[in-house]
Amino acid sequence: MRAETVSTHRGGMWSWLFQRITAVLLIVCLAIHLIFTHIVGIGDINYDTIGDRLAHAGFIAVDIILLAAGTFHALNGLRMVLMDYWFTSRKRALILTIVLWVIGLAALGYGIWALWPWIS
Amino acid sequence: MSAKPRETANVGTGLWKATGMWAWLLFRISGLVLVFYLGAHILVISTSQWSEAGKTLNDLMKAFDHPVLILLDLALVVAVLYHALNGVRIILMDFGIGIKRHKIVYWVCMGVVVILFAIFAYVAFSFIITGEGVTG
Repeated sequence: MRAETVSTHRGGMWSWLFQRITAVLLIVCLAIHLIFTHIVGIGDINYDTIGDRLAHAGFIAVDIILLAAGTFHALNGLRMVLMDYWFTSRKRALILTIVLWVIGLAALGYGIWALWPWIS
Repeated sequence: MSAKPRETANVGTGLWKATGMWAWLLFRISGLVLVFYLGAHILVISTSQWSEAGKTLNDLMKAFDHPVLILLDLALVVAVLYHALNGVRIILMDFGIGIKRHKIVYWVCMGVVVILFAIFAYVAFSFIITGEGVTG
């Protein structure tokens, strides 16, 4: 337990809080995602069936939440790990944080763009 | 200064041992696996949709029906379930829920992992054997 407490404390309050909020969002949306892709859709996933699914606004919402929450949760988690090894000083940690935010926002923009034919 | 002051600190306080260490280590490994999978997942699926009528995507999804890839998929499910349920445990600890019985909470969470895994494994093996899904 202490390991996580020390680790999260070093990352800052907001990153700690958003890691929890995105975790809860991911549990709900990932459950939906896995039920429909792995359990219901197994063996029957193709361009047309995915298109049918994405015709529902609810699935678009789930996918966008997965994209945004997943990107934040993944990169912030990676940040926490890296800050334990090489990015230990305040300066290195700040550079890492900025680089990961740029990567994250680019990934989010790219993901929305890739989903755009189904959103519009 | 040592490269890993935190681990050293944990050893000193007797925290770097037993169940908690494995819970932490597996959480970290599954997390890293999922970060790299997520990147590949978004990249492969987004780029494969742009061929004519999604032909690249369809070929790819057919290839993923191979038993070996279904089993790899199942391994990914283990990483997701472990990371999710250990994460639930951490959030419960943050709220102070069950903190006095934290070992029991951990093993209950692992029990949930096993039960959910059994469902996914049943679906996966049914598909490998019969070539059909279980929901019709």
